[in-house]
Amino acid sequence: MSQPASTVPSNYLRACALADVPDEGAIGVEVQGTPVAIIRVGGEIFALHDVCSHEEVPLSEGDVYDHTVECWLHGSCFDLRTGKPTGPPATKPVPTYPVKTEGDDVYVSLPDQER
Amino acid sequence: MSALQGAVESGAPVSRLHERQSFDPAEFGVPTGREEEWRFTPLRRLRGLHGDETLKPGKIALSVDAPPGVAVELAQHGDPRLGTAFIPGDRVSAQAFASFDEATLITVDEWLERIAPTWVTVRGENADGASFGHLVVDVKPNARAVVVLEYTGSATYADNVELVVGDGASLSVVSLQDWAADAVHLSYHHAKLGKDATLIHTAVTLGGGLVRLAPSVRYAGPGGNAELRGLYFADAGQHLEHRLFVDHAERNCRSRVSYKGALQGEDAHAVWIGDVVIRATATGTDTYEYNRNLVLTDGTRVDSVPNLEILTGEVVGAGHASASGRLEDHHLFYLMARGIPFEEARRLVIKGFFGQLIAQIEVPEVRERVTDAIEAELAAPAGESAG
Repeated sequence: MSQPASTVPSNYLRACALADVPDEGAIGVEVQGTPVAIIRVGGEIFALHDVCSHEEVPLSEGDVYDHTVECWLHGSCFDLRTGKPTGPPATKPVPTYPVKTEGDDVYVSLPDQER
Repeated sequence: MSALQGAVESGAPVSRLHERQSFDPAEFGVPTGREEEWRFTPLRRLRGLHGDETLKPGKIALSVDAPPGVAVELAQHGDPRLGTAFIPGDRVSAQAFASFDEATLITVDEWLERIAPTWVTVRGENADGASFGHLVVDVKPNARAVVVLEYTGSATYADNVELVVGDGASLSVVSLQDWAADAVHLSYHHAKLGKDATLIHTAVTLGGGLVRLAPSVRYAGPGGNAELRGLYFADAGQHLEHRLFVDHAERNCRSRVSYKGALQGEDAHAVWIGDVVIRATATGTDTYEYNRNLVLTDGTRVDSVPNLEILTGEVVGAGHASASGRLEDHHLFYLMARGIPFEEARRLVIKGFFGQLIAQIEVPEVRERVTDAIEAELAAPAGESAG
């Protein structure tokens, strides 16, 4: 893991290279043991906890459309901006994380208590 | 349809879940979480116990306090007395059998009875490294024994426990999972019952971050009787999973599975899987299993799945049941209408829910301990771990 660049606050951790994130899609990474889905839509980057709130499935393996990620296994949908479920069977939100990009790198800020 | 026809003709069950068996961990792929037997288990919390990387060794202290007539020995890999009651049915079980340092062998002499309980204490020193264990309890024909397995401390631990119950013998096992909050424990209890043998197996799971206990029963002769009981209390963040399997392949055997659990706090998760197969040869089988879950707060999750496959029409009885729900308002109302405050009424109803299972535990010390532990859980504000 490289050191955060000077303009990125120290509580942001490097998640992946910007080039690793598909133009319209998701990549799953682990940041300090926390699974994080890094998702790019229309040039904007989002980060969500990479486990569906319904069952133990990585959301980064799902489809991305209309600022939504859809879990491939049971079809639960989540809004990328809020993490709130927009389609069943999930009823609980997934955590979202603040993202910054600098140069070729994507950084996320995880809450302290995240497992 | 063709699978069904094939099953009827060959006598093999349609459900193949318990058919795959091997002592070689490599025979089983690394679970991804999509497999039927792993789909409820959060694999990323297993600290690699299910994976193929070499893990840093952990430290587990096992001690046995046995009454006279009960022999306790250590056994090494390759000892013919190990691996007689089972062939591992998944990767972690096979890995545990391949990786344990030394096995503990407890033998109860023929015709021995009215003896004090044998206590097996497994204490984890820390959860950083991974440990593997193997225990054999061999009750020779016509003996009667009581064994308490007590798991405490912090650990990342996987183990196999073989329970060999000889012809006409009787074994009562209480397995008490009372781990610290950071423990991860994957455990397999494999019972083999001889002719007219009796097993009473009670699982009490209170502590541990993630506990996945899989008791299974096989019969080596007719007339066997297995009572599998369980009691669990999941607090915030705890994943407590019990996977039962009773394989009826012999005639005139009986099995009962009775599991009850309560859950409170955010992300408390209980899983109960009750699989029973009655093979074509197992005429005269009498089986019933049930699971009950009491959901005490929001934010918990219960998965309860009974499965029963019957390949003969000649059964005495075969059934299963599962129910998960909240405290019943009218139970509380009944007590409160008699002047009992809400909190006290709630405690009484929950104690009543577990009461019968606790009363059936044969060892008074364990009974008291479980009663106290449940009291402590109920005294703690919802969601806070009491143990």
